[in-house]
Amino acid sequence: MTAKTRGPWSRLYAGFGISGPVTLLLLAAALGVPWLPGEFWTHVGTEVLIFGLFAMSFNLLYGYMGQISFGHAAFFGVGAYATAMLFTALKGADGQIGIAEFLLSLLAGPPVAALVALVVGFFCVRLTGIYFAILTLAFGELLFYIVFSWYTFTKGDDGIQGLLPPPFFQDSTNFYFFTLAIVAVAAAVMWRITESPFGYALRTLRDNQRRAGFLGTNVRVHMLVNFVLAGTFAGIAGALWGPFSRSVNPGLLGWGESGIAVFMTLIGGAGSFIGPLLGSVIYTMLQAVVKMYTVYWPLTIGTIILLIVLFAPGGILGMIDKRIQATRARKDAAGADAAAAAPAKEQRP
Amino acid sequence: MDIAPYALQLFSGLSRAMVLFLLSAGLSLIFGVMNILNFAHATLWLLSGYVTFSIFTFLSQQFGVSPWLLLPAIAGAVALMSLFGFALERLLIRHTYERELPEQLLLTFALVLILGDVIKLIWGLENRRINLGVRPIEMLDTLVNPYQFVIIGTGFAVAVGLWLFLQRTRFGKIVRAAVYSRSMVSALGIRIPMIYASVFALGVGLAALAGGVFLPLLPMALGVDLDIIVQCFAVVVIGGFGSMLGTFVASIIVGIVYSFSILFWPDGALAMIFLIVIAVLIVRPWGLFGTELRS
Repeated sequence: MTAKTRGPWSRLYAGFGISGPVTLLLLAAALGVPWLPGEFWTHVGTEVLIFGLFAMSFNLLYGYMGQISFGHAAFFGVGAYATAMLFTALKGADGQIGIAEFLLSLLAGPPVAALVALVVGFFCVRLTGIYFAILTLAFGELLFYIVFSWYTFTKGDDGIQGLLPPPFFQDSTNFYFFTLAIVAVAAAVMWRITESPFGYALRTLRDNQRRAGFLGTNVRVHMLVNFVLAGTFAGIAGALWGPFSRSVNPGLLGWGESGIAVFMTLIGGAGSFIGPLLGSVIYTMLQAVVKMYTVYWPLTIGTIILLIVLFAPGGILGMIDKRIQATRARKDAAGADAAAAAPAKEQRP
Repeated sequence: MDIAPYALQLFSGLSRAMVLFLLSAGLSLIFGVMNILNFAHATLWLLSGYVTFSIFTFLSQQFGVSPWLLLPAIAGAVALMSLFGFALERLLIRHTYERELPEQLLLTFALVLILGDVIKLIWGLENRRINLGVRPIEMLDTLVNPYQFVIIGTGFAVAVGLWLFLQRTRFGKIVRAAVYSRSMVSALGIRIPMIYASVFALGVGLAALAGGVFLPLLPMALGVDLDIIVQCFAVVVIGGFGSMLGTFVASIIVGIVYSFSILFWPDGALAMIFLIVIAVLIVRPWGLFGTELRS
């Protein structure tokens, strides 16, 4: 009987959890961003989307599989470099690149990232907890130093510059909508994966790996497949980064970059699908604003993280979700009391 | 064969190893007792370096410049930083014992960011170092900074001292027991919270010692802490969490490998260390000297 009185927001919540309404709000906001005056916010919005996708791919490992990776940026960076290198090879002598070649170079990122994730993941999924975290960190740093010092192949610490997309995509609004479309599709695919039987198998791995093993789940294969998936989506985000910032550098693979995904996820909330994207909205916009006024950005974000860890362990969405559930429980209890007070028409066992 | 470059790398590798040991010993103790991987350990080391520098400068203004003033400066910094570590554990770290691993890591990482900027606020962007004015001595066909032997000596002395402390004293025995089983130690009526805070203070004190001792050799600079903490993780993983002997041996391995790699592949010295970490984690995740039980 309560179902009839619930509005569309409630039904969205019932179907998709806290991610439902938040996704709708974020999407509405995302469509409005290019109408803000100036290019600044469109630029920030593109960054929010790319890092949001990166953080969501990280959350496949952390939120759904229960393992924390400190080397996830390696796949972001490898994707960015694969795209950047093909881009450089395909662009003409005048520095211009055609639409077809541009799209082709974007396609190079994800498979290369997936391949590297397969090799790295093969070793990493044998470990869990702190050892998983440190092994991913070590692989990430190893890849960073390879890119950093292999000058003839990757241009070393100079990075690769001059990744100017075709004229149509040079317009910040067009590139923004292009990124929005890719990120939206990628997020939809990720949502489908997390709601599939595979996604639920991952959740059992998170909650109790040994028990999942006893139930016949192939623990290592599930972890490896998820690791490769997470690496691939990070590679998509990385592929978009090069043409967006017009350059790539080895820092994209470093653990500072991996840390950003961790921060965003923890700020937004690892417990919900859309949490990392919300985290990216908060982190990236805050960074854009704070850096205008002060050089003490680390102090700012450090304090925010400290407060979140101490007072809002589930992130922002975790905190809101807890409130909603508490309110609902209270309402349901009140409803049940009212029903008990009214004469029962029908009794069911 | 010209032995000079190898001798140089050997001494600088060993002094590097000693700093890594002083830091990793604290890191390993804290992890062993409290199960907290302290990301901020090297940042506390960096902060100690700056504190030592300030005390040294202050003393020099009061009593005239003398290299011996480094001793009271280091003692002061160790005392101050131990107190700071004690307070940090009581105020912040203790809230995370019941939390998940990533949240613990994030809390200490937030401290890395905050303390890094605090250093920037107080001491500015300039690098700080103390020039003791020691003359290099000639040995093995090359010039060696004799201060490196002070560092190596300090490292060995602390290693022995720490070992005796953990083996022979009552507090040391409690700490070792706490590494083995916290609940049992608590059940025996020992105040675990005090043990936690003291171990954290001890770890930070060791880091402060490393910071002060290292100051005349290399300048303290913003951002160095991030390089060092990753190497300390490497040391702790290679040696095995909770094993002092392992930490000592692994420090020497990492220090030597690092300084010799510089001869052959300057940019890739850290890559070599990560290769070793990867190999150890794949073949023996519990480290060279750790026990398989802890995971």
